Amino acid sequence: MERQLFKPRSRVFIAYLSLPVLWYLFVVVVPLVLAIRYSLYEWSGGPKMRFVGLSNYVQLIHDYDFWFSFKNNLIITLLCIIGQIGIAFILAAMMTTRVLKFKEFHRTVIFLPVVLSPVVIGFIWMLMYNQQIGILNWILRAIGLGSLVRPWLDDPKLVIYSVSVPLIWQYIGFYLVILMASLQSIPKEIFEAAEIDGADGFKRTIYVILPLLSDTLKVSIMLCIAGNMKVFDHIYVMTGGGPGKSSMVMAQYAYNNSFIMFKLGYGATISVGILVLSLAIILLSRKLMGGSEK
Amino acid sequence: MNIKKIAFKIGALILNILVMILSLSAIFPIVWLIYSSLKTEREFALSIASLPAHPTFENYVNAIKTAKMHIYFFNSLFITVISVILIVIFSFIVGYFFARYQFKGRTLLYTMFLAGMLIPIHALLVPLFVQFKVFGLLDRRITLIFPYVGLGLPMAIFLMENFIRDIPHEIEEAAYIDGATLTQTLFRIILPICKPIISTVVILSALSTWNEFSFALVLIKSDALKTLPVGLTNFSSQYTVKYTQLMAAITIAILPVIITYLVFNKKVIQGLVAGAVKG
Repeated sequence: MERQLFKPRSRVFIAYLSLPVLWYLFVVVVPLVLAIRYSLYEWSGGPKMRFVGLSNYVQLIHDYDFWFSFKNNLIITLLCIIGQIGIAFILAAMMTTRVLKFKEFHRTVIFLPVVLSPVVIGFIWMLMYNQQIGILNWILRAIGLGSLVRPWLDDPKLVIYSVSVPLIWQYIGFYLVILMASLQSIPKEIFEAAEIDGADGFKRTIYVILPLLSDTLKVSIMLCIAGNMKVFDHIYVMTGGGPGKSSMVMAQYAYNNSFIMFKLGYGATISVGILVLSLAIILLSRKLMGGSEK
Repeated sequence: MNIKKIAFKIGALILNILVMILSLSAIFPIVWLIYSSLKTEREFALSIASLPAHPTFENYVNAIKTAKMHIYFFNSLFITVISVILIVIFSFIVGYFFARYQFKGRTLLYTMFLAGMLIPIHALLVPLFVQFKVFGLLDRRITLIFPYVGLGLPMAIFLMENFIRDIPHEIEEAAYIDGATLTQTLFRIILPICKPIISTVVILSALSTWNEFSFALVLIKSDALKTLPVGLTNFSSQYTVKYTQLMAAITIAILPVIITYLVFNKKVIQGLVAGAVKG
């Protein structure tokens, strides 16, 4: 701020800023502090609140189901990084060639699922996966892969992969657009020079485009991790964490504890756990990737 | 040479076909859903992939009659419109003060607002539920406006502040010399200049409000106040599921978003990317 304008009096500041600030304190800051407080109590929502100190956290550390759901979050994140960013990267590389036609159409269409609500995506894929009326099994039968037909969301071994597909599918367009935006900021001469030097499709992608995009890819991976640590809506709609607990994720587990079993204290502990784990994973991966991004 | 050329052409064709298949698979589920919603349950059961032979709006009529989709629709619309207006006004004001003035507590407020982008919303569900219960704010028409505005603010403030900082100071100085008050300068002069960023903020916050699920699930109990995403889950658990009717209900929920996207797609894409990458 190199220059100061004529400065209004402080009561003008207060008049303008107090409503937004109070609003924000009321719905974000105070609850966040309270979450930490509630996590120290055993409490089912009634007037009886029993202070238990850190014992909720001790319980959380020994809670097999919580760590199992954390593992599911990690699996989903990994699949999404590979699926979303991988596919988006290949597509973005193709978008730089003259060979590919209808680029505008592809971009518009692939981005469309991004704007839809996760709940709707969950429903659409639940219908797609449906044993009797699902179009997925219908397609498999139609192309002669009838042996692959199965209850995609009811098989405990398979379900974590089945629920990942809609997540990947929904956000490919998002990463495609991010990568394309960063490719467009690169001078065209670089691609032309590479072409003249004889770098064709594959080589060009690996030696020219990949290094140029590395910073954007890092940002994308961060976004992907942050997004998948809080995944909830899709899972809630498609499986609710089931069958059994096979597709349980951390947010669903926190929701079940808080609002199905009414263990509000422990639910708050799980939420704080999610907060800490997400930040830790983000910092860790940033370190591993050599954080050159902002 | 000729063979090489032909090989290249074939390769290009294959590549185009592959990408086209991928593109179509990105919208096929949505297209399938929409055209299937125009079939009767019987026709759908008979052939799940074919186009409707005699398109009918019967499912839509039922989705409105039995599942009250129109009520959820107007609830979502109401909450979205109010929340977006408030987010725009608040973020414009806060963004302006952050961009233009050094004042006591600025750093603290700034950090507080921006840190909001890192908080996973699920950490707020339990305490907000309790807090709203204490204040008698659960299950009201205005309930959801509170968290939606609060959570929409960080990103919106960030975008506004960045934009306003690049507006030359001379504009305001001229206004002050002409005797304009702060309020006049703010709303008559700066606000119109901010149009492009305001439209980005509107798109971002409208989409996330319209699509939000967790708070709506936890803070609203009565059927008459539910929003579309919760209304949909309600629908599938309460009634014997008629698939085509569910499809009609989902279509009602997504059509406004899809139409908005098709009309303003460049602006929508820009807005979402600006929000994510800068945040």
